[in-house]
Amino acid sequence: MSRSSIKSACSQRRVHKLLVEPETSGLAADNSLEMTYCATLSAEQVKRSFIEHDPAFEPSLRSSTAGCVEFSQALLLNNIRRRALRDGRLTEPGKALRLAVVGGCTLSPLADLIEHFASVLADVSIELWKGEFDNYVSEILDEGSELFEFKPDLVLLLPSVHRCRYSGPASAAREEQLGVADGVASEILGLCDRINRTSKAQVVLANFPLPSHHDPGPLRNTSLTSDYAFRRYVNTQLGFRAPEYVHLCDVEFLANRLGTIAAEDPKAWFESKQPYSAGLLVQAAKEVGQILAGLTRPTKKVVVLDLDNTLWGGVIGDDGLEGIEIGTTSARGEAFRAFQQYLLELAGRGILLGVCSKNDHANAVEPFLKHPEMVLKLSDIVNFKANWEPKADNIREMASELNLGLDSFVFVDDNPAEIEVVRQFVPEVTCICLGDDPSTFVRALADSRLFEVRKMTAEDFERAELYRTEAKRQELKSTATDMDAYLSSLEMVAEVSPFSKLDVPRIAQLINKSNQFNLTTRRRTEAEVLAMIEDPEVDGFTIRLADRFGNHGLIAVVIGQFAENDYVVDTWLMSCRVLKRQVEQVTLNQIVESARRLGSERVIGVYKPTVKNAMVAGLYEKLGFSRLRESAEETTYELRVDTYQPSETRIRVELVSNG
Amino acid sequence: MDNQEIYRRLQDVFDAVFMEPVVVTPTLTAKEVEEWDSLIHVSLVLAVESEFGVRFRVGEVESAKNVGDLVDLIAKRCAA
Repeated sequence: MSRSSIKSACSQRRVHKLLVEPETSGLAADNSLEMTYCATLSAEQVKRSFIEHDPAFEPSLRSSTAGCVEFSQALLLNNIRRRALRDGRLTEPGKALRLAVVGGCTLSPLADLIEHFASVLADVSIELWKGEFDNYVSEILDEGSELFEFKPDLVLLLPSVHRCRYSGPASAAREEQLGVADGVASEILGLCDRINRTSKAQVVLANFPLPSHHDPGPLRNTSLTSDYAFRRYVNTQLGFRAPEYVHLCDVEFLANRLGTIAAEDPKAWFESKQPYSAGLLVQAAKEVGQILAGLTRPTKKVVVLDLDNTLWGGVIGDDGLEGIEIGTTSARGEAFRAFQQYLLELAGRGILLGVCSKNDHANAVEPFLKHPEMVLKLSDIVNFKANWEPKADNIREMASELNLGLDSFVFVDDNPAEIEVVRQFVPEVTCICLGDDPSTFVRALADSRLFEVRKMTAEDFERAELYRTEAKRQELKSTATDMDAYLSSLEMVAEVSPFSKLDVPRIAQLINKSNQFNLTTRRRTEAEVLAMIEDPEVDGFTIRLADRFGNHGLIAVVIGQFAENDYVVDTWLMSCRVLKRQVEQVTLNQIVESARRLGSERVIGVYKPTVKNAMVAGLYEKLGFSRLRESAEETTYELRVDTYQPSETRIRVELVSNG
Repeated sequence: MDNQEIYRRLQDVFDAVFMEPVVVTPTLTAKEVEEWDSLIHVSLVLAVESEFGVRFRVGEVESAKNVGDLVDLIAKRCAA
């Protein structure tokens, strides 16, 4: 090993250390534009490492560029990169691409920034040709123009926003307005077609940022005569109608993400015909870099997940099934659940999910098998490694078992030390360090840009066709105005389960927080609820509800007490978000069923009025109970078990038994 | 912010924009710097605004004859 390569290996380690230093590990501030998964160096730090001949210069340039949002920082990084190339401290990326930029605005410094981001983010060396200000139509229509002499591989087209507006009278008919807007989109797509036919070049098409000003107020979205509605419509048309060789640079989205006020700079337009504010220039340039990276790099296929404090809160080996945080009981639990939901969506897009955890296998699989609030099931995980071997070894093994390249793997962990190990020993794998706030986990993955769908395949389109038919069916349903049709269309499933230890925290939470749909408002501690599970005199059950839009979780709790020949409803409460969904009827059916099973002749219901539960004052009577006695504190009702006819509902009921 | 501070930070901006070192002085003009063409000028103005967190009024920078005028302008906008 030469001296320089030893030095470079050492410095490599130093950078790694820099990137995952505990106090700087995790994600950048939640509200920042870029959620980089390692600490970002400022451009000034990169400059210092360049001046000091630090061999870690190149990785620091990469990390800083990835996290860069400020125009002046981007400019400095570009300048440092150019100086480094000139001094031989950097080599041009091997892949070269001829990029022509044309449009209705000044194309510098946007094009220069694109050169930078393409080089650093996509490893593509750009040979650049810039058109004249607002000369794109003739450049494209003239087959002998300099544009085509340049023989571009890729043309970036920024059509003029000033030609994207409705100029007719505000009173014009809707069809007339739509005709003009469709015409603008057709013209732009026609130019893309000309580019592609004349030069075979692919086209990156920038759509239009939306204006930030309030005018014309509430009429903004009532016709296409406002710039806002017009541009949005044209953008949608461009998206819907773009052929395969057109890659959209979604400036509308980028500007919205930044904030339309921050995305605009009228002065820069008047002074030098800049299309966007400095901040949006950076975002647009970076987006083109990302598009190039997408066109030239293999996609990620596998997400390898840690378990403890990644998929749930806490440590399964220490805290046990009852102790981990997952599900609707706590805010943290909900955040982990939402993260699992997102992972399931990724799986739906064809990304494979793997698990790599330092755990005993039996402990690690337990939540997947037994915890009712887990979204991910064992069958969603294509490869499950829970053992005490180093994660780097496990991931290598997984890659060979799945027969996939390591560069298609993404490793996700909350622990910077594990991330560091994988980075060092399996450098091909992309790592995402989640940090310690599960509410940021979805964003960390969704903004990593590693899992974007690039192209629609024929199968995708077939699937899309299926979805469309389904959508039509749903549309029919949703136009049905009667309640019954609405309820059937929800495809509800209720899961009725006796109290279980795992559910105790959520049950106690509902018992202590529910005020409105709560017949008796009797509060109880977790310990008291726990004791009920073993009590033969008590029948406690819960209901979970899911429909085709998602899972509502555990939403109803009933505690019945057996007293002689009666089943007394001690507690009946329900979360208000599932009101009027027939869960009340399902619950009563279940109450009567329990009463009958245990030989009770009557169900006794009690309503204790509070300031907040007037909503259920008439519930028992509405459900067919008759009033027995009434006082200021409570009203008591009865229902004969033998004559009760179960209510028919649009909810499919599944009974769960506790084993 | 005093002028000395402005010159110091302006030097950082120039170092970011130009490949070759350019020493910022009050009498410096675009003509004296080979790289300083109209395109670089756009970057320079945007970078100055972003560095100092100021917004010049339309046409204002055009009327500055040299770097000294620019610094006065920055001072004026920082104070405003």
